[in-house]
Amino acid sequence: MSDPGAVGGSVTYQRLVHKNSSGFHYMKVSLVFEKEGKRIDGAFFKQLIISALRNVYGEIGAAFPFDVLKFEEKSLTAVLRVYNSGLVKLWSALTLLGSYQNETCAVRVVQVLLPYQYTGGP
Amino acid sequence: MVRFKSRYLLCEVCVSNPSDLRLLDERAVFFAVKAAVSRAHGDYGTALIGMCFSVKYLNAHTGVVFLRCRKSHYRMLWSALPFISSLESRGQRVPCFFNCLHVGGTIRTCQKFLIRYNTQQLHRLLPRCRSDKERSEVRKAVLSCSLKVFRNDEEEDDEDWGGEEVAE
Repeated sequence: MSDPGAVGGSVTYQRLVHKNSSGFHYMKVSLVFEKEGKRIDGAFFKQLIISALRNVYGEIGAAFPFDVLKFEEKSLTAVLRVYNSGLVKLWSALTLLGSYQNETCAVRVVQVLLPYQYTGGP
Repeated sequence: MVRFKSRYLLCEVCVSNPSDLRLLDERAVFFAVKAAVSRAHGDYGTALIGMCFSVKYLNAHTGVVFLRCRKSHYRMLWSALPFISSLESRGQRVPCFFNCLHVGGTIRTCQKFLIRYNTQQLHRLLPRCRSDKERSEVRKAVLSCSLKVFRNDEEEDDEDWGGEEVAE
């Protein structure tokens, strides 16, 4: 997280430590099916993540909020927003997710962003 | 010396019908607790608890149970206990709930607590006695119980489980 700034022709580097004050993390994930052509909508996608969380962490462990901000049905990519405290749990549950309606699938985490890096585009 | 540290949860199994307590056995408690942890904390919790979880002691007369668990994850076990609503033993379903009385680092501290707790319970029972005979029996029980504590402190005896017998 260094920020280059040109001062008087010579380039100096300034070290910036950014504390994540908003408390959120944004994850860009994509859902990959073994067979092509499977369709799923946003609500089912969220349900899929919730059931994966419940399998791994149970009813108490999975009780933390997260949002699906965007879901593209064409490319099966989504942007998730989660509190910092739930990031590890959500990520591990996504990794361990293995099937949807008896079809083998996987979730690939494309990118994890801090709030100021997230500009709204998928 | 380094050792694996444990937590001992002293629980009381509360049933509506006291004769149902005779049906309890360690296996039933073990599987009921494990199922509750699995429901409340999923595969992750079950795996953490499964490392070192055991039912150390069960008194089928008073319904006192000692559960042992690793110190690092005992909170998972603790938080799952209120969600147990029934035990299944010998083909029968016994509705019950777990009342956690004490959490201790060694069996010894739990035992000391249990003896003190049972003495308190007897003191609470004393004013409720109806006949003189009952009263004298409870008094005798209180006396014998306090004698046990005194002897315990002197002898440093770990195997003396006399505390629960008094409460019967």
